[in-house]
This record gives sequence, C-alpha cells and structure tokens, in this order.
Amino acid sequence: MTAPLDLGLRAQAAAIAAGEIDPGELLDDALARIEQRNPALNAVVETFPERSREMLAAAPQGPLHGVPVVIKDEWPLPWRAERFGAAELTVPTAPGESGPYRALRDAGATIVGVGNMHELGAGSTGNTSCYGAARNPWDTERCPGGSSSGPAASAAARLVAGAVGADGLGSVRFPAAYCGLTGLKPTFGRSAMEGHHMAPITTLIVSGPLCADAADCRLLASVLFGEELATGEASSLRIGVIRDTVSEDVTPEVAAACEAAIEQLRAETGGEVREIALPDLEAATLAAILLINSESMSGTTPAQLNDLDPELSPVARGTLKYRMLIPAAALAQANLVRTLMRRRLAALFTEVDVIAWPTIPAPAPPLEEPLVELPAGTSSADQANVRGGALANLTGIPAISMPVGLSEEGLPLALQLQAAWGQDGLLLDAAEALERANGRRWVEALPPLATQAEPTEA
Amino acid sequence: MDDTSPADQFIPAGLAALEIEADEIDLAVMGAVHELLWPPLLELLAFDTHAVEPERRADLSRAPE
Repeated sequence: MTAPLDLGLRAQAAAIAAGEIDPGELLDDALARIEQRNPALNAVVETFPERSREMLAAAPQGPLHGVPVVIKDEWPLPWRAERFGAAELTVPTAPGESGPYRALRDAGATIVGVGNMHELGAGSTGNTSCYGAARNPWDTERCPGGSSSGPAASAAARLVAGAVGADGLGSVRFPAAYCGLTGLKPTFGRSAMEGHHMAPITTLIVSGPLCADAADCRLLASVLFGEELATGEASSLRIGVIRDTVSEDVTPEVAAACEAAIEQLRAETGGEVREIALPDLEAATLAAILLINSESMSGTTPAQLNDLDPELSPVARGTLKYRMLIPAAALAQANLVRTLMRRRLAALFTEVDVIAWPTIPAPAPPLEEPLVELPAGTSSADQANVRGGALANLTGIPAISMPVGLSEEGLPLALQLQAAWGQDGLLLDAAEALERANGRRWVEALPPLATQAEPTEA
Repeated sequence: MDDTSPADQFIPAGLAALEIEADEIDLAVMGAVHELLWPPLLELLAFDTHAVEPERRADLSRAPE
C-alpha cells in the first residue's frame, strides 16, 4: 500500500477531503520523514512543528486542506524572516505574512518547513548556502540545482508532495530538472510575490511550484495565482524548435531525450514541429543577468558593502561589490534588448504555441566541482544553464520544465517549454500530454533516497 | 607593452570612486567575474538597438503593444 506521504499533492488533498487520511497524522509523517531523510539532503533548513500544527488547526477547507508543503527561504513567515540562503542580506528583513504564505494558508496547506537555497539566489547548483549545500536525492554527491535547491530536493525525496520556489533566471526550472520534477515559472506578476524583499523592484523574479507532475503543479500554481487554472487539451500543438547553442551545445543524451520528447509531444497532440529562429539569445541572457544583478543592489549602499558579515561566502562578497560597478549604459541597453526580444517573441507566438529546448544542457554535476562537459568544451554549470533559463525571465513569458529521461548515470534529464504571456495553463496541458505520451514513466520515477523503507517502531 | 589587464584598472578605480573597500579575496573574485562578464557586456554595449523603439510603461505580464 502506498504511504500517504508518497501520494501526489492532489491525491493527498483528495484523500484528506474524503476522510481517508488524517491530516494530523500526515503532518507527523512529514516531520518524521524529514527527520529520517533530510540529514542526507540538507533540503529543509528549519521545521517548526508547533507552528505547523497551529496552521493545521486553523486551516480552512481549501484545495490544499491539511497538505504539508515546503517553502523556499526567500519569503518571510509570520514567525520567521527569510535569510535568502545567506549570512547577511543588505536589505532589512523581518517576520511577516508574505504573499505565498497567505496563499498557502488560505488554501488550507500546512507549511512544514523552510527549504534551503543557493546563497543570495545567485547560482543554479545549490552547492553554496549559509546552511551548507543541499544535495540531490538521485545522487547525494550531485547538485540539486538552484537556486530553489531545498524545495526541489524536498519534493523529489518525497518529504512533501509540493514545494514553493522562486525563479529569477531559471531558479525553479533548473532544480526541477536536476531533481526529476515538474517546475513552473509563471508569467511575470501572476503568482504571489508580496513580502519578498525584492518584490517592489524586481522585473524578473516570480514564485512557482515544484511537484512530481504537471497536475500537481497546476494545483499549487492555482493556489499561488489565486485563480483556478482549468485543465485543457493541448491539441494540434505547434512546437517551435531553435537550432542554436541553447539546444545544440548539450550532451548527446540530453539532446536525444529532448528530441524524443518533442516528437512524443507532437504525436500525442497531433501537432507539428517547426524550426524557428530567435537571434541574439546571448544578448538576451546577458541583459537578464545585468538587470537582476542591478535590481538586487537596490537600496544597498557602499557603506553596507564595507561592513558585510564575514560569514558571507567570498564569492558572494566579491560579486556584491562587483554589481555596484555595472555601467548604467549597459542597463539601458539591456532594457532595449528586453523590448526587442519581447517583440520578437510576440511575433513568434503567432507561428508556434510553444518553444521547446532542453532545460539543462547536462545532468546534475558534482557538488564539489559543478562543471559540465559539453560539445563546445568544459563549462561551469551556472554559465551553461543560464542560457536556457534567462529568456523567460527577461521577457515575462511562462516556462515549464518536465522530466524526459535519465542519463546513463541515473540522473534526470529535462525538457523546457515556453509559451506566450498568460499561457501558463497551456504549458501545463502540454506537460500532461507529454506525460500521457510517455506513460508517466519519468514523473513516476523515484530517486533512490525516496524508496528507502520507513523505520519501523520497536 | 602594457600587460595590465582591464580588470586591474577598472575594478580598483570603480571601487575607489564608490569608496568601497576590498581585500585580496574580494579582488580575486571580482577579477574572475569581470573576466566572464566584461567581454559580453562590451558586445551588448555595441549591439545595435537604434531601431528598437522603447516600450513605454512595459507590462511584463503581457505581450508588448
């Protein structure tokens, strides 16, 4: 019999609503599983059983009534200020009711823990954090992805069935890809962001769900959006593919898995694959990097940079100081590139419904040295990953990552789909179509750590 | 021949202008970031955007008008 905690998000919610699962027992199970599995993962950096029980006791009969979830260390909770994975933030933080907290609370969910994250959200690997590196449940010597490392590792190891992450350059999609999950980067502004220390200034970051499959992501996204994302049918899908670095400088097994998935998606939807061109992707990637780096420095003074917490990593300290030197002319240029790419995408989305390319060019690299071997040569995972992630954040469009295979070493591979503004539902429909096409093989694949037997009571 | 890298000039000058202090480790990290970021940044600055009409009051949640 399947343990309640191994059910998906919607199955847990349905079983609780039907009286088949006691939500108090489910919460206790989640806490016990965190105690059992988290030491190998460092995915959850804090639990607060009494607060969780208080949330459950007051939980309304919403769509996630009694369902335990993890939230990234990127938003405040009423009893805890976010730390953003860092020893210090240069902006003030305090406990409070953030947008994602309110959305989860009002849906009846129980926040069972805070998820680890890459320090300052500034990496795609999750190997650097004030809490120590998070680890990938598929191979604990590998990166779980970042910056939403803890939420992804939590959901992949089935500590919880759903987690809330944030995505500024791919930070939901990369860890979803590394950990074999489905992860949605919503259309800009559509998901709850209030309370995030960058919410008033960011033009790139959104909250987003990480779950095993697309239907669970739809449920959690609906909660974060404050509106139900109805299930539709992705039919006659016009799939745009781009022959460029982002789809070609990838490992052979990533290329093969993504090409196979695109063909499965085409066949399942009775659609077609069209080759399209989207020039200047490199400029778009740099524009997004410059914009998020400069936005992150809003409110930071030189004096603060002269008094940084010594516990902040050397990379973070140097990077923060370098960000102050980015020329204003480059930011103005970045905004023009953003406009250019938005117009090009608007035109492209009259020709295709989705644009497909690999989420990550290579599977999860080692924690110790996160390098990837690509046809063009050895690269840092961060440099290689951002090529596929930044466009959606720069332009505001939604994107989804879904598992499409395993590497020879048993690590997840992933395909990304991007759609026009507001077409988040279409991406979920397409992801569900792909799951049907491959018999849900990859969304039901479990990492070794998630198949551990529960300890039995003496 | 001057073998001073651009980072050797740009970073200390920028830090001094903003009165930001940096130790050797900071400078090493900044140099590495500069080496990665600066060449594409120069390309971005040279990118021809004269024909791009700026988006007034851009709403990133929607397609551009």
